[in-house]
Amino acid sequence: MSESIMIIGAGVAGINCALNAADYGTKVYLVDDTPSIGGMMARLDKTFPTNDCSICIEAPQMYEVDNHPNIEILTNTEIRKVKKTDASFKVRLVKKAKFIDEEKCTACGACMEACPVAIPDEMDGKIGGKRKLIYMPFPQAVPNVAVVDPECRHGKMREDGACVGGCVVDCSQCRECPIALCVKACQKEGKDAVRLWQSNKNLNLEVKSIVVASGIMDAKPAEGLHGYGVHQNVITNMEFERLMNAGGPTEGHIIRPSDGKHVKKIAWYQCAGRGLADGVPYCSKVCCMVAAKQTIITKEHDPSVETLIYYNDLKAYGKGFWGFYEKAKENGVRYIKARPYDVFEDPETRNLTIRYEDVETGNLMKEEVELLVLSTGLIPSDRNKRLAKVLKIELDNLGFFKEEDPMMAPLETKAKGIYLCGGATGPIDIAESVVQAGAASMKAVLRIGD
Amino acid sequence: MREDIRVGVFVCDCGSNIAGVVDVPQVVAYAKGLPNVAFVDEGRWSCSVDALSDMQESIKEHHLNRVVIASCTPRTHEPLFKRNVKEAGLNPYLLEFVSIREQVSWVHMNEPEMATDKAKDLVRMGVAKAVLLEEGEEIRLPVKQECLVIGGGVAGMTAALNVAQQGFDAIILEKEPHLGGILNKVTTVSHDQNEMAAADIVKAKVDLVETHPNITIYRNAAIEEIEGYIGNYKVTLKPNGDGPGEPLDISTIIVATGMKEIEPEGFYGYGTDPRVVTQLQLEELLRNAECRMPSGEFRMPNSECRIQDVVIINCVNSKNETRGCCNIGCPVSVKNALALKNLKNDIRVHILYRDLSMVKEEHFHLDAAKEAGVKFIRFPDDRYPEVTDESGRLCVRVHDILLGREFTIPSDLLVLTTAFKGDDTVDEIKGLLKVSASADGFFQEAHAKLGPVDFPADGISLCGCAKSPKNYRESCEEGIAAAMRVSIPMKNGYIEAEGIVADIDLTDCNNCGLCYKRCPYNAIKVVEEAEPAVIKALCKGCGLCAADCPKECITIVHYSDEQLLAQVEAALEEEADKKILGFVCHWCALGGVDMAGVSRLQYPPHARLIRVMCSARVPIRLIERGFELGAAGVLVAGCEFPTCHYITGNYACETRVKRAKKRLAKRGYDPEKLWNIWCSAADGPKFANTMREMATQLDLV
Repeated sequence: MSESIMIIGAGVAGINCALNAADYGTKVYLVDDTPSIGGMMARLDKTFPTNDCSICIEAPQMYEVDNHPNIEILTNTEIRKVKKTDASFKVRLVKKAKFIDEEKCTACGACMEACPVAIPDEMDGKIGGKRKLIYMPFPQAVPNVAVVDPECRHGKMREDGACVGGCVVDCSQCRECPIALCVKACQKEGKDAVRLWQSNKNLNLEVKSIVVASGIMDAKPAEGLHGYGVHQNVITNMEFERLMNAGGPTEGHIIRPSDGKHVKKIAWYQCAGRGLADGVPYCSKVCCMVAAKQTIITKEHDPSVETLIYYNDLKAYGKGFWGFYEKAKENGVRYIKARPYDVFEDPETRNLTIRYEDVETGNLMKEEVELLVLSTGLIPSDRNKRLAKVLKIELDNLGFFKEEDPMMAPLETKAKGIYLCGGATGPIDIAESVVQAGAASMKAVLRIGD
Repeated sequence: MREDIRVGVFVCDCGSNIAGVVDVPQVVAYAKGLPNVAFVDEGRWSCSVDALSDMQESIKEHHLNRVVIASCTPRTHEPLFKRNVKEAGLNPYLLEFVSIREQVSWVHMNEPEMATDKAKDLVRMGVAKAVLLEEGEEIRLPVKQECLVIGGGVAGMTAALNVAQQGFDAIILEKEPHLGGILNKVTTVSHDQNEMAAADIVKAKVDLVETHPNITIYRNAAIEEIEGYIGNYKVTLKPNGDGPGEPLDISTIIVATGMKEIEPEGFYGYGTDPRVVTQLQLEELLRNAECRMPSGEFRMPNSECRIQDVVIINCVNSKNETRGCCNIGCPVSVKNALALKNLKNDIRVHILYRDLSMVKEEHFHLDAAKEAGVKFIRFPDDRYPEVTDESGRLCVRVHDILLGREFTIPSDLLVLTTAFKGDDTVDEIKGLLKVSASADGFFQEAHAKLGPVDFPADGISLCGCAKSPKNYRESCEEGIAAAMRVSIPMKNGYIEAEGIVADIDLTDCNNCGLCYKRCPYNAIKVVEEAEPAVIKALCKGCGLCAADCPKECITIVHYSDEQLLAQVEAALEEEADKKILGFVCHWCALGGVDMAGVSRLQYPPHARLIRVMCSARVPIRLIERGFELGAAGVLVAGCEFPTCHYITGNYACETRVKRAKKRLAKRGYDPEKLWNIWCSAADGPKFANTMREMATQLDLV
């Protein structure tokens, strides 16, 4: 019988689950389908209600994972097949090519400098973040190596100039590229770590239990919702988070997409899209505190910025949350109980005029702002359906993973030996994720419920 | 020069990342001339597998007993090189890391000569410290397998069950005669769309703990005294309860003391009018068979009047200046409203609320309540409902902000959703465990985000409502998580700490007790002869005590005063007036420095940075020494508030820097030349800007 466990997803829940189990003495395979561990928390600027810098507290844990003798990190790796036996799971995984020799790459960045193609970064596309086709997921990435966008490898970006060598051969036909600038740059550095002909690798592992920590996603607003996708200066709260992050594309300058101007008046719409056909049907717990945080940090950057929060019900139900809300108000944030109606853009200034009903007075009001932030909420990860099928466990009616007996056996699924934690269970904040990670690690190392 | 010290210096090119800016051969040649240096090597990629094995060969061949590696950053690569020197047979504490990529080549790309000079300085500082390095070792403290769980509510029972399941012993201390805690007063609990009778849950859990061979339960029990630390607690119980007279030997402790309702005295006639009750009292009424009339009507016990109108007011005595949201009141009020409706559908129930905190699937309960006919009225934050007694009946006057008008609702029973506080025993227990708690008696966890069930001191965990009000489900999760946290050392049989710890030389100690008071981890204790001693396994090595000790008798392994002083002197050996001496904490400030490097932010090359684990390690005397040696300026950089890897180190540093400025002024130095910044690990721009500003203001450009 195998004594090791597998954790699917290496965000803050997966990382904490792994550290607990590994410290306990259990061998852990920490699997993530993205190129780096870190998850959603690595994208955040600050964490409420203390305004701790997110990466400052997560990166040390990421390095600890990287150096832990009991943890094997498998990034860019997907679970393909899981076969349950009496006391273990036989798991087939595919490690997708990063087109990089991870042993040799030192994250020096020469290849990225050489790469001629910059595309919008998925982390912060709308607010102008760019990355090259060969790139580091983010500066503190673990493993700290570059990764080649597979789109490049297959020549799909040729129109944008991925291939600049004048080569007539289709990249996807060619096994070894003599002209790719990244390969050359790397060779010039003496590393030769770029491996354009690297293929996916199959892995077979046997583990006694599995923890699903596959995370959660921020909802993208429907096209046109409050002007999102129509007016440039309407962004989501996650995009705003990247905007105010000193490690983000604007180095923490809160500037707006239309003209790169420092913003002086910003409004937040809470519960954006909530209850609409393609909106989030439930309260996501975190958005009220996220908005409070974002206004406080905005004021820290520049106290003269005017901030307004249009909200419905205020959720300040966790430890220290109320004080945090009070702090936002003390800093001059205006909270308005409101029902939003519509948003117009001034074609000259690109400012936005918001029409809303003030719930307390019943009056229809107007307000002109320079940037509108939509708090859209958290939705099930798009991985959930596939993972549920592979693991042969169920999802609930909202699309999160379902527990078999939530009252007496929390975090356990109908498959004995498969446990849940973090965003896989529903909308959740970091502290709750860490609690669940601790609980799931206990269950996984003991294989509770068997 | 000490003859027996043989330092090996390994300078990395990092391809062209370092060598493209810094003249590495020059640095190598310079290093060869430094005292005690026996061997210098240039490596194209020092972290590559072949370079690492070459390094091991060189260490053996040249009998090196200290190693300086000049390359990228210790934050990512120190563990790798530590492992490597260890494999070469050298104690890993004999390695010193010099950062010439993030601190030099990446940030001074346009000034290759000055960059090379800076790299030489940094290597010289590294060698100066390396010569003084001493062997260190990881420290182990044995931990056995007895866990004390304080509190026998659902969190405590869940924790005990999970501890016991591993074959460890769990002892539950319950101050009441019965296990179950606050759930004993509750009708039902729900999670998502599931609901269960609280009594059934309590019974199931109590059966499990009572029949578990590894669980001992002491009811009516209270703690008299707790002495010791992880692996070595002696817990004495008060004589009037269950449990043995002699002290218990305990390895780890889980605090699960729960919470209680704050009686809303003075609100809406509560306390004098029997028709005004709290949610928990309503739950008790709902559990009480005497509250049902034979006809099925709901009534107060011993009353013949049926209850027809119930008004629930939420956020009573909470969400105000004193305290925040009660965390659980909204779902509880909805659940109880629905219970009343289920009991007798013609009971009219109104919930008066400010905001409805119903998250995720709790909305289904809200929908069900609305469907069952529960009426919801939202009142303004600053205009609470008013209650009067009109000819023997309570009348509630409330302003409905959604409809914009006032309503008067009659009420036979007024239910107040009130706030909670920690258990009465919290004050006593926090003293016994030397931990802290809020004004409302909730224990303070180690870290709001990443240490939610830990206390700062190892070996004690926290779970359930003792931390903050929470629902049944979250209490269970925390109970299991707390069990995991204390089980790790019990499973391993020890806790291990890095060898960077405090060491007290008692020669000059005058037992002032400052170190004992200042230590954030309770790692210093005053032993019987009143002399302080460091419990090394608990010490995290922040160095706060060492910097504060008035007699300078505390040293930190790997960051001793002598070693730091050697670095200061080496940094300012030449052209001190052109140099900024910097102390940066390993966790965030150095992270910011590295981030500036990775982002290739260019700044003037005056800084000579010395790494400390925490900004609290930097003593005033070291800052003064920098000015004595003629430094143009001194920078102390720590984590951005409120983040600190050592809880409050940056706060300690902040106060100390203020004192340092006063002292500098007295001694005739310009206090404005001492800079202090708080920098997050993401804030490369802040560090780079500071460097630019300092260079300008100190007239270095």
